[in-house]
Amino acid sequence: MSDGPLIVQSDKTLLLDIDHPLSDECRRAIASFAELEKSPEHIHTYRLTPLGLWNARAAGHDAEQVIDTLLKYSRYAVPHALLVDVAETMSRYGRLRLEAHPVHGLILASIDPAVLREVTRGKKIAPMLGMQLDEETIVVHPGQRGFLKQALLKLGWPAEDFAGYVDGEHHEIALKQEGWSIRRYQELAAEGFWHGGSGVVVLPCGAGKTIVGAAAMAHAKATTLILVTNTVAARQWRDELLRRTTLHEDEIGEYSGAKKEIRPVTIATYQVMTTRKQGLYAHLDLFDAIDWGLIIYDEVHLLPAPIFRFTADIQSRRRLGLTATLVREDGMEGEVFSLIGPKRFDVPWKEIEAQGYIAPADCVEVRVTLTEAERLNYATAEPEERYRFCATTATKRKVAIALAHKHKDDQVLIIGQYLDQLDALGEELGVPVIKGDTPVKERERLFNLYRSGEIKCLVVSKVANFSIDLPEATIAIQVSGTFGSRQEEAQRLGRILRPKADGRGARFYSIVARDTIDQDFAQNRQRFLAEQGYAYRIIDADDVLNQS
Amino acid sequence: MSTPSFTDELRSRDDAQIAQLFSARPDLITPVPTDLTALAARANSVPSLIRALEALNRWQHDVLIAASSLPEPFSRAQLIEITATPAATALEDLWSRALLYRDGENFRLPGNLRNMLGEEPAGLGPMAPTRINFDLLEQAPKNSAEVLARLTWGPPRGQVASIKKPGAAIEWLLENHFLLPVDSQTVVLPRQVAMYLRSGKIFKELLFIPPVVTGTKRKQKDVNRAAIANISTFLRWVEELAHNWSDEPPVALRSGGLGVRDLKRSAEHLGVSEICAGFVAEILYLAGLVVIDTDDYILPTTAFDVWLTKSAEERWHGLVSLWQETSRVSGLIGKADAKNISPLGPELDRTGIAGVRKTVLNILEKSPEIDPLLATIQASCQWVSPQRFNADFVEWTLREAEWLGITGQGAMSEFGSAFVNGLDSLGIESALPKPVDHILIQADNSAIAPGPLTLEISNMMGTIADIESRGGATVYRFSESSIRRGLDHGHTGDHIKDFLKKTSKTPTPQPLEYLINDVAKRHGRLRVGQSLCYLRCEDEGLIQQIMHDKKLENLRLRKLAPQVIISELEMHDVMAGLRESGYLPASENATGILVLQPASRRAKSRPRPPRIYSENGKPSEIMITSAVRALRAGEKASAHKPREIPRTTANETLDLLHQYIEEQASLTIGYADTNGGVSNRLIDPISISLGTLLARDHATGEMAYFRIPRITGVSPAL
Repeated sequence: MSDGPLIVQSDKTLLLDIDHPLSDECRRAIASFAELEKSPEHIHTYRLTPLGLWNARAAGHDAEQVIDTLLKYSRYAVPHALLVDVAETMSRYGRLRLEAHPVHGLILASIDPAVLREVTRGKKIAPMLGMQLDEETIVVHPGQRGFLKQALLKLGWPAEDFAGYVDGEHHEIALKQEGWSIRRYQELAAEGFWHGGSGVVVLPCGAGKTIVGAAAMAHAKATTLILVTNTVAARQWRDELLRRTTLHEDEIGEYSGAKKEIRPVTIATYQVMTTRKQGLYAHLDLFDAIDWGLIIYDEVHLLPAPIFRFTADIQSRRRLGLTATLVREDGMEGEVFSLIGPKRFDVPWKEIEAQGYIAPADCVEVRVTLTEAERLNYATAEPEERYRFCATTATKRKVAIALAHKHKDDQVLIIGQYLDQLDALGEELGVPVIKGDTPVKERERLFNLYRSGEIKCLVVSKVANFSIDLPEATIAIQVSGTFGSRQEEAQRLGRILRPKADGRGARFYSIVARDTIDQDFAQNRQRFLAEQGYAYRIIDADDVLNQS
Repeated sequence: MSTPSFTDELRSRDDAQIAQLFSARPDLITPVPTDLTALAARANSVPSLIRALEALNRWQHDVLIAASSLPEPFSRAQLIEITATPAATALEDLWSRALLYRDGENFRLPGNLRNMLGEEPAGLGPMAPTRINFDLLEQAPKNSAEVLARLTWGPPRGQVASIKKPGAAIEWLLENHFLLPVDSQTVVLPRQVAMYLRSGKIFKELLFIPPVVTGTKRKQKDVNRAAIANISTFLRWVEELAHNWSDEPPVALRSGGLGVRDLKRSAEHLGVSEICAGFVAEILYLAGLVVIDTDDYILPTTAFDVWLTKSAEERWHGLVSLWQETSRVSGLIGKADAKNISPLGPELDRTGIAGVRKTVLNILEKSPEIDPLLATIQASCQWVSPQRFNADFVEWTLREAEWLGITGQGAMSEFGSAFVNGLDSLGIESALPKPVDHILIQADNSAIAPGPLTLEISNMMGTIADIESRGGATVYRFSESSIRRGLDHGHTGDHIKDFLKKTSKTPTPQPLEYLINDVAKRHGRLRVGQSLCYLRCEDEGLIQQIMHDKKLENLRLRKLAPQVIISELEMHDVMAGLRESGYLPASENATGILVLQPASRRAKSRPRPPRIYSENGKPSEIMITSAVRALRAGEKASAHKPREIPRTTANETLDLLHQYIEEQASLTIGYADTNGGVSNRLIDPISISLGTLLARDHATGEMAYFRIPRITGVSPAL
């Protein structure tokens, strides 16, 4: 019986003991075929999924290598049936190939006519296919490349896509490493993406995803369309690109509600892309405006459904997705996989923290006991109003203010969901509030004042959940959120993870009303971070109030 | 010298030889025969001989066939001449099984055995009465030689259009006695000719050793590793399925088995195929770990709890021994051509399966480090017991042996080998991963046991946490409901925290501690109990007085609040008791309104009046007519009563019935009831089908079915 670091479970999860001397070596070996599910402090959980195994096949690993790795590092004997299953799953990949044919355009080919016959029988697939050329090849209707791949994946016969990508219109882009240099993991992420062709890179907030995007553009050296969540983020991207690459201001266009510029590098917002006029998407032409060589999706975990549909049409262009949290509360991870591409790079948050690229964070859950009157009102509130009620109680506000006072010398962000609650807080603290209806100009002004330290405290709504770069923010106080959203919690923590000039750690407070639905939601919200190894500390609100 | 009888020969055997006979044919001593005559009779009986033949391997069987082809008595040399030298050993062996007996230096076959083996052993025809000149064969015409070639290896008979005009080829053979006429259309190849054509050897090929098993080569070390994984997986399946059925017990089918839907659910729960789940279910059932309860729920028994406390080796050994012995074939479950066979059902027994399992295991044991090809191991099994061979059984046995961990990667493991050889210690305990006595708790409220837990800890963890993933390790998750479950089972919050502190190698994360505290604080804050009525009074003094009143003790009163008392008695009993003791209670209804005039008491049951056994009313028309008809029929029958109906055999009955049906005559038949009592019936026969007579019975005037074999005799009604 060997004493390896890995325990292979019969439900195809792999438990990696990270305190084991071989754990690093083992992690590198299994990362190519197993998906990291969570990485708390002692045991990391990976999972063998068909997607992960097919990914490994796509990257050139075969079943024998996978099985050897499992056997080599496994602490206990590995169930034979599991190994057989791994081999069988992997053998399904690549039996079908999408290829470019000089005469017929896109074709679906297989050396196994039985498989081809099986899939062409499918009701969903048949209409995407054209004439059968021979036993082993069949023509695919142009434009169906994305949909076909999606449908084949669902059937369990993923097609290997050899049809290649269009190079797009050439445009010279290079990184301008003056006074800074690209980090190793950023380089690896960009390379991982480039070799895979298309896919998603997962990096913690504050770890420099923009630079990965810039590095990918430098690889492509082609016109690029960047899709971001909002206008502020778009301007941040532009500033970052100007600073990190050889691009000039007139080469970068903004395509938003305010401006409609189309330049070799164009940054568009999701919102403008999904705007409809008389039932039609008005700005779809942007996808064809230039022969784009690369499309970057920022915050891919928020990608709205219509964009997925447009993306299915542009499968011949390289696509890069960027996110910190590839969890979608709507369960559309499969769509991200087949349309944007598989996950090309992922690294545990704590590892980046250990390298010093993101600030260490202390997560604190502040438990507030509601007053008798509040409890009674809560108990009799309508079910759909309950969360709003317990999340916005006066007791909570008092605690938030006490915390803000306690940290009056630090850069503080107070984040919440409900506008009246935020307004009340802003008023009592005498600080500005940024919410959805704050004009972009005003937002930028306030953020700039905050960055420069002239404003110490800001109250923000969910518009600041992501993509807002506030390097010096060290304290975040969350008073309410979008119910139990895991990615929102992680994104909010992300706001304060930029490494601080003085190496200080960040602190994230989440104020939770005890014995209410707020507490249940909080538990769900914290799961992603807990799985990334962020251990929440719980303190009582009375301690905070007594201190101040 | 007269020929000795089979009995005489047995009598001449010494004790050791008789003992040998018994060990080779154990059925002969169940029960122990009274004397050697009885033994000889039993040894020569057909059922015992069938068993004896089944126990022979291919080579022994062939030698016996060869022996039966020789004229009796035959010598060893004669037998060897038509077979091969190793036949001598087989001959001795057959003799020791009393399938042959000695006549001086020669041998004979017991009478019944010769009959069982048939007239034409190994496709040989009868002996020719005349001498045959084999030299003539050289000049045989081409067509004649072809006919001979076709008949050489049997069957020895051939059909001709007519023996008078058989055609030139056959005619030449008949003339020279190479063929003998049997009847007007059949010819046969005489034994001498066949043996001559077979060059004196009775069989085309002789297999005195079993065919070699071939397959993929494995390393013993890998095999053992794979086997130990299989063993621990299998034990886990058993445990898990029992636990699963305890949580959600399936209901047995009316026929006694596990339904398809429940089987599917069990398979999904275990993450295995339905065939495998059926196999695990069968093992649980065999070992008495689950039972079909009287209310048709399939539930784990107390034996399961005892079983859990045993060591892994004991558990495994017990289950595998049962599997090896049982006549139940779980491979039949859900087979396409036997769709209704369900696990735990009554239709799974097959004879011979236990023998096949033993044979397969022995073959595997003798071919170490080989994952055999199915066809070669099937051939080998067929050689070992040609009479009992079943290709499916072999395949299923291999599959199950792998699930059980007797084999790993298809080859016999060290543990399986120890089991087959009946060793006391199988070495499983030391090969299984050591039980761990600690867990690791992580910040996301999950705990990991990095190996199999000791029973005590795993029981406790099972109560206070939900299992998320199983295998070599176990992943648990704490949640509000799992902690609540622990509290329901009588643990306190502090107890759980202490246990985690003691068991976990890592400090208990603060959120988990809060979770336990929170749940413990809320647990039991709300209490639920039963009572039948309540007393309430705004005067707390009166409540006090009632509680201290000795006379009211029998009302079983309990004070819930300063102004409220409850009782376990019915309201009217409490009221009566209170009134007796001089209190003045009034009753109130659910909305608290005083019911001043207590409603008259009413029963809670639904009305169930007794049945009325009244005087006879006027009978209906139908009743009267049928009574009259019965009377007339009785009359008619009694008129013929003295007459005995002649007994007829079933065939005669059938003929007579056909005849009377044609004549459309009324008949009197003797008809036996289920107890064998015979009654006479007067009937008009109508038709016969499937051994049943349809007729109109005069006694009832209705159509009735009569089973032909039950009809003792038929005669026309007078």
